[in-house]
Amino acid sequence: MDFDWSAEEEAFRQEVREFIDKELTDEVKGSIFIDTPARVAFVTKMADRGWLGMGFPEEYGGSPNPLPLAQFILNAELDRTGSPIIGKNVGTIASTIFHVASEEMKKDFLPKIFRNEGQWAITYTEPNAGTDLGSMKCRAIDKGDHFEVTGMKHFITSAHFCRWHWMAVRTDPDAPKHKGISILIVDHDSPGLSMSPMDTIGREGTTHRTNQLFFDKMKVPKSRLVGKINEGFYYMMQALDYERFAILSFASRVRRFTNIVDWYKNANFNGERPIEDNHTRRTLARMAARVEVGTMLERMAICKAQEEVPAVEAAMNKAWGATIGDEFAQMGLDLMGPFGGLWGGQHSPLDGGLADEYLMAGHARVAAGGVDTSKSIIARRLLGLPNALGKPELPTR
Amino acid sequence: MDLKLTEEQTQLQDIASKFMDKNCSFAFVRNIENNSESGYCPDMWQQFAELGWLGIIIPEEYDGMGMSTLDMIVLVREMGRHICPSPYLFTSVLAADAITRSGSKEQKAELLPQIVAGKKIYAFAYQEYSRFFKPEHIKLQARTDEEGYVLNGSKLFVEFADAADTLLVVARTGEADSQSGLTLFLVDRNSDGIETRQMPTMSRDKTYQVDFTDVRIPESAILGSLDEGWSALEPALHKAVLGFCAFTNGAGFEMHEHATQYAKTRVQFGRPIGQMQTIQGYLAQLIMELYGADMLTMFSAFQIDKGRHARGYVAKAKAFSAETVGHVMDVGSQIFGGIGYMEEQDTTLFLRRGKQYQLALGGTEYWEDVIAEEIIDREPVVLT
Repeated sequence: MDFDWSAEEEAFRQEVREFIDKELTDEVKGSIFIDTPARVAFVTKMADRGWLGMGFPEEYGGSPNPLPLAQFILNAELDRTGSPIIGKNVGTIASTIFHVASEEMKKDFLPKIFRNEGQWAITYTEPNAGTDLGSMKCRAIDKGDHFEVTGMKHFITSAHFCRWHWMAVRTDPDAPKHKGISILIVDHDSPGLSMSPMDTIGREGTTHRTNQLFFDKMKVPKSRLVGKINEGFYYMMQALDYERFAILSFASRVRRFTNIVDWYKNANFNGERPIEDNHTRRTLARMAARVEVGTMLERMAICKAQEEVPAVEAAMNKAWGATIGDEFAQMGLDLMGPFGGLWGGQHSPLDGGLADEYLMAGHARVAAGGVDTSKSIIARRLLGLPNALGKPELPTR
Repeated sequence: MDLKLTEEQTQLQDIASKFMDKNCSFAFVRNIENNSESGYCPDMWQQFAELGWLGIIIPEEYDGMGMSTLDMIVLVREMGRHICPSPYLFTSVLAADAITRSGSKEQKAELLPQIVAGKKIYAFAYQEYSRFFKPEHIKLQARTDEEGYVLNGSKLFVEFADAADTLLVVARTGEADSQSGLTLFLVDRNSDGIETRQMPTMSRDKTYQVDFTDVRIPESAILGSLDEGWSALEPALHKAVLGFCAFTNGAGFEMHEHATQYAKTRVQFGRPIGQMQTIQGYLAQLIMELYGADMLTMFSAFQIDKGRHARGYVAKAKAFSAETVGHVMDVGSQIFGGIGYMEEQDTTLFLRRGKQYQLALGGTEYWEDVIAEEIIDREPVVLT
């Protein structure tokens, strides 16, 4: 057992840190999304270094992997500093294209992803198909040379700045529900697609936009079908395992928790210093242990990812990370007395950042497969418990 | 980074697992609980000696195996799976490390090979009549007289005190109510003036109150330096505490397996209860906590082996492992429903131990105070 990073890994981490020191401006900071011109430019600079396509073959625009763990080191450093991360574009979409798509699609889309030529939305969720994605209804009808798509999606992040949708649709309404779904790549400017915003809870400047999408006889060329028809559900499940890990790097939580501890270290209420109070000290200490457990589960997921899709570890990472994020936001507020409710202004702890954290933490617990969904995955795939319908676990491919 | 056990560690784990399966059944544990005064099995102790386990962290020059803290963790976790009753952690980890670290040349040459050979058992006489674990609360007096020292006072929760040959006594020789002014003494269990009384516990372990009345001991019984007992003890205590975490994590994993198995086979409403999301949620939460506690324990041991400042990590490992074992034994028992609380049910062996383990070797508040010192009072904050 060796918990240390190798000298090569540390050297790569150093290279990433130097890049971030040089390129991370205030305009770029503060979101994992590639949603503004400054953030797009930042990510393109990473693309120029070959960091988006690490580990993919050069014929698809990839670059040699400097180290097996390079992607994780890169993402951890990005996340730690509040930079846009290498998330779904590479982790979910490029990985799935590489494993299941046709040669033409690989040659077409992989280089575009690795050069950061456009952003992607993952367009799965519907009003009646949330946790139960298999129930989706948005219909794609085979019209010979194209599919005709009609229906709606909601809670779609990134749609308002995306170029393409990685979209799941129902292609066979008569098949058992998991066996009639396919994945399409859809241009955002397709005729028949319209969109309206759904903002998450929060104060101005901290909200997170998601979107509602409507499709009215939208045409999608047959060439945009990813992999095999009606196999989409399995691609989604496999990709969600990647996404849980890619999006939920633990590094930003460590940073945010450290900020809270630092705030308490310096706080002084008319001479009363919270860090001289035993209850405050022990509460912060208890949370520090729980945060450290998160770094351990993240390590387990990283190591497992070297061998196979870390489905169970990713689910643990998701469940623990999201739960802990909520616990320490609540803890930070609970120790604050009435000041916990302040949302900015003179006496507001961390300029309202803790209240923001609390609201965001709730969102994080339900995003990308909720905490309880993750626990079901652990129960079934690791512990071998039967699923709620008493059926054997769906095969994963 | 590679979180897989080495080939050597895997072998050690396999041997330990097979040994425990064969020799440490629930019936064996119950027999020790009900019929043994000493709280352990001398024959098994000799087998530990033959396997080299008693000297696992003792340097090779003193007949030990000279293995790492992490290796010890791997072994003790298997003992924990079988809740194996033995004075292993106090003898072969705590005393062995304290003597290796602070003993004189003569003490090391004499005492360490005895431990390796299974000839001497140690007990840890630390806690007194205080809810707290901080060394400040130690009052047992060691005053000098012409021939050495005279001990007066009482120690509580001295596990295996009756079986022990030697008591590792932490006594006050200097300044009161302080971390300093403490000295470690290696006291012959059979010295005049020592009386023991068993303290009944819910885990039915063999723990004792030990009263010292004018117990005379020679100066040569001091381990390390006068008045500097705490700084000699703390690093050894950290190793033993990590061993204890490994033990309780092992016990937790075992309980979890029993509960999972039961959830798969117990049928109510025409289906196995493990199909219900509530039960799945419990078991998933517990296994996450166990993985976390286990990894954190190994990570802390790794830091110690690298010679790094590991105080904060050890404290996090102990605080979290303690919470976890309490939680796993409690919720795990709930999954069994009524049978989980019947005396004949073997998992009650775990239930009776869980809470007690949580409170042992420094309760959560002690280790949280240590974490707080490390993350708040030390500069800079280091959070991995």
